[in-house]
Amino acid sequence: MTDLAERREPDLVYQPAEDSRLLGDATREFVDEGDVVLDVGTGSGWVASVAAEEGADVVGVDLNPHACREARDRGVQTVRGDLVEPFRNDAFDAVLFNPPYLPTDPDDEGDDWLEKALSGGETGRAVVDPFLDTVGRVLKPEGEVLLLVSSLTGLDEVTERAAENGLATAEVASEKFPFERLIVLRVITDNHQTD
Amino acid sequence: MQEDLMDIICCPLDKSDLELEVTQRDDEGEVIEGRLVCSECGEEYPVEEGIPNLLPPDMREESPA
Repeated sequence: MTDLAERREPDLVYQPAEDSRLLGDATREFVDEGDVVLDVGTGSGWVASVAAEEGADVVGVDLNPHACREARDRGVQTVRGDLVEPFRNDAFDAVLFNPPYLPTDPDDEGDDWLEKALSGGETGRAVVDPFLDTVGRVLKPEGEVLLLVSSLTGLDEVTERAAENGLATAEVASEKFPFERLIVLRVITDNHQTD
Repeated sequence: MQEDLMDIICCPLDKSDLELEVTQRDDEGEVIEGRLVCSECGEEYPVEEGIPNLLPPDMREESPA
């Protein structure tokens, strides 16, 4: 375990926090044994490892090379990549994502890896929007997405963007904090919903 | 990377199949070093320290921005 501790790089990789825990709880509820699962922006790999504990076959993807190494050290099979781009059509039963969701003033925005893990640009949706535009391609017809967002991210806008992509959203978990509410959205394709 | 990852990954640019070329495996058969080559566009993606780098070539730098 010494090796793992030495390789952990807390300043370069987002560590599990309240949002991770909320997404982890939803993961336990919705991910089943044998599911093929993608954890987008896997970071430390903590949420991915929760899915693995449920018996799922999990892959993590992250832009950040330090996160990829840390998640791999946690035992998560990891790919360095941009959102769902390096994955095949209809590959996953579930896609999990705790994205950078906080609206950030462009003047305050740094360019280090940790900032990139938190900042969702001016709207808070700079990463959520392209994710919603592309995630449908890699979902199996009966597949589902668990997406963590904050009330600060703009729930209506997120729901609207999903709908434009043929995706239906439903709130499945939420927790209040002093300045925001954290929400887990379950996102499924419109086809799935009418089945 | 485990070789069964090949069932779910593809070229990030054109979504075509990748071909795996292995240069090093560990004792359990996991691919540690090698490369993935797109069967359609020929783009090459490295596998380093067991992690395939499937970022498009223009996004591959180690820096965050």
